[in-house]
Amino acid sequence: MNEELIQQITKMVVEKLEAASSGQTTHQTSHEQKVQLFSQQPVGNLAAETKQASPSGVVTFHSTTEEVKPQRTIATVKPKPTTAYGKPKPKTETKQPTADELAEYRKKTPARVGVGRAGSRPRTNTWLQFRLDHAAAVDAVYGEVPDDLLERLGLFQVQSKVADKEEYIRRPDLGRRLSDEAKELIQQRCKTSPVVQIVASNGLSAKAIEENLEDVYLSLEQSLNNLNIEMGTTFYVDKGRVAVMDEIGDVLKPDVVVMLIGERPGLVSAESLSAYLCYQPRLGTIEADRMVISNIHKGGIPPVEAGAYLGTVIQKILKYEASGVSLVQKEG
Amino acid sequence: MNNFNKHETIISAGIDIGTSTTKLIISRFSLRNVAGVTHVPRIEITDKEILYKSPVFRTPLQDAVTINVAGVQEIIRSEYEKAGILPSQIETGAVIITGETATKRNASEMLHQLSDEAGDFLVATAGPDLEGIIAAKGSGSYDESGKGGRVIANIDIGGGTANIAVYQDKQLLGTCTMHIGGRLIEFEQGKVRAISPPIEQLLGDQGYALQIGDPQNASAVEFVTNFMAESLARILKKNVHAQDQVLLLGHEPNWKQPIDTIVFSGGIAECMYHHAADEEQAANYDDIGVQLAEALVNNQSLQSFSWQEPIETVRATVLGAGTQTTEISGATIQVAPDELPLKNIPIYQYDFEENLAEGLSHIEDAVQQAVSLYDSAKEGQNFALYLSNLPYLGFRDVQTLAKAIVQIMNQRPQPDQPIILVIQSDHAKVLGQTLAALRVKQSIICIDQINVETGDYIDIGNALTSGVVPVVVKTLTFHTT
Repeated sequence: MNEELIQQITKMVVEKLEAASSGQTTHQTSHEQKVQLFSQQPVGNLAAETKQASPSGVVTFHSTTEEVKPQRTIATVKPKPTTAYGKPKPKTETKQPTADELAEYRKKTPARVGVGRAGSRPRTNTWLQFRLDHAAAVDAVYGEVPDDLLERLGLFQVQSKVADKEEYIRRPDLGRRLSDEAKELIQQRCKTSPVVQIVASNGLSAKAIEENLEDVYLSLEQSLNNLNIEMGTTFYVDKGRVAVMDEIGDVLKPDVVVMLIGERPGLVSAESLSAYLCYQPRLGTIEADRMVISNIHKGGIPPVEAGAYLGTVIQKILKYEASGVSLVQKEG
Repeated sequence: MNNFNKHETIISAGIDIGTSTTKLIISRFSLRNVAGVTHVPRIEITDKEILYKSPVFRTPLQDAVTINVAGVQEIIRSEYEKAGILPSQIETGAVIITGETATKRNASEMLHQLSDEAGDFLVATAGPDLEGIIAAKGSGSYDESGKGGRVIANIDIGGGTANIAVYQDKQLLGTCTMHIGGRLIEFEQGKVRAISPPIEQLLGDQGYALQIGDPQNASAVEFVTNFMAESLARILKKNVHAQDQVLLLGHEPNWKQPIDTIVFSGGIAECMYHHAADEEQAANYDDIGVQLAEALVNNQSLQSFSWQEPIETVRATVLGAGTQTTEISGATIQVAPDELPLKNIPIYQYDFEENLAEGLSHIEDAVQQAVSLYDSAKEGQNFALYLSNLPYLGFRDVQTLAKAIVQIMNQRPQPDQPIILVIQSDHAKVLGQTLAALRVKQSIICIDQINVETGDYIDIGNALTSGVVPVVVKTLTFHTT
């Protein structure tokens, strides 16, 4: 089927469901035929059903639907909960969270908690939202950073050794190296031995760069200006991995490299940016010497605040001449 | 340079000067970065340890309307000595003046004097609503309300007032203060020695006569304690009769939800639960305290609520003042260290309602209002501007916002005073840096992730090693009678 068509239909259904649920708070059963295959109300123990250790070794099943007691004529022998001594166990009270409490939990996390279910499956709008988020994650990986953003920030573009997206995913090692042309180009165009070299790369989320790079970069630039820390010539690496900073360090010999790179997208956010920092990265730098400020996006650390904070982190790296684990050790 | 990963401790003091008793508490807070290593740090108080609890002292009074300041100072000095603490070691905390003591002539003056002497950053607080809130935190009611949706009323009854604070899910639903307390009728050698004015009025209203010199067991005394219990039950049920007005101090009960559970704290609760029974028995107070406690326990109307025992009785307020008033700012902030600590800064809230352009178009009027509210005489009382409900801000938005702030701050009567900004969302560092980049002439104090509103006062302490500042949000309204 046509991909665009699927997307369109999914979007329409989600919108419709959202409109319906915001318009009426009560259960929207009015138009549906009453087929009571599964209970419309969640039943059973929502707060994780704990496995009850039963000494007799009898397997117990927990019902997910309401039991209609009198109709059961088949002798389903339900073992009474017992302790090792055969005495009935005092019933432990597990309180069902109220709707208010669930709303409170949902406020605290973007994770899909307390969203209810229809029978044993997620509800349709939860499921469609999940599919939409998954699609957004895929799009983030395969998307491209718009040229006008790079132009606006005055960044030139170079390539890693990777040829296309498929190879980028299969061969992380190639994403960690600059192409020969790239090496030549940065040697020509960039200031050598700057104090701070900033590099941007789409990494696994072009969307992250598109949404956040400008705010983080401008804020970081201002912060470094305020602190009187010299900046090199910033550029953009297409299809780079974090460790491409090592080769950049080898070529340009900066004191600190800051790499602003799109994070692997998740189902909560597909546009999260990370800033990796390293003191004098060179080929052979170990991972423990890198540090990262992650989760930079609208719903995480505000990009402008992250940029401002990065300035003070760089100041600290320069003071201790170390980053990552070495920095923590030196700081004491 | 800020070290976010070091474990840091600060010493906090709480001093409660109440109608009949004064007590002090010294505690130690542990601060830690609770954010993951890959995140921007978030410093929180992770542990609170009580180092010293003073005995319960009688509040020294000079006469009926004046507090004996030297006496209070002497108590604090000797208790600090016993605890092995110097005033200079106290990095945060609060001195609170509660109950009838707050109506004394020299209350305000003494409070500020004490907060200056007893520690570098000891905050002066007062206000009937605040008393109830702090007591609810100290008695454990506040924490208890976070467990499972019940509406809990904490009723802190001391010598002069009963302070009610109602909580559900750790949210304050409302407060109310009443003239109910042990010290409202005092005895001497089995005879009535003093009757406080609201009680005199109550007796008159109800057609009872009680004179100085009447016997302690007069029926009018019993009537008063029973009436207090009955009236408290009506107030808790929000069923305020005309006859209860005489016992109300300030506003009527303002919570909406019906109360499930009541918790008594304060000196009267001590008479009920005897938590401190193993300590040296405090002197006989010679007032209606014990009778009042009995009346409350035996009152049928109050039995319709479920009762819960507090974790602290007589020390609930001082515990709250010492351990529950300090907040920690966000970790990414911009403060000029020379300007700290700052005390008694009034807050003016400006709500952007998620719209920057619209918000900026009216911000100038807001500052005019703040000046007319707090500095009508143009004497240079500075204020803190609280920016709430900011929309998502891009870098260019921050520039626009910063320029607008500089412009309006220059219109203050004394434009050279520090620019103090409190921001609800995590934007203090970038806004502070942007102001610095604009080369503003004023010092900048820009902190975030503190919730305040117009009418609050804040005190901002010295920056700690991790770069955060302790902040105490409070009110400073004294009782009016």
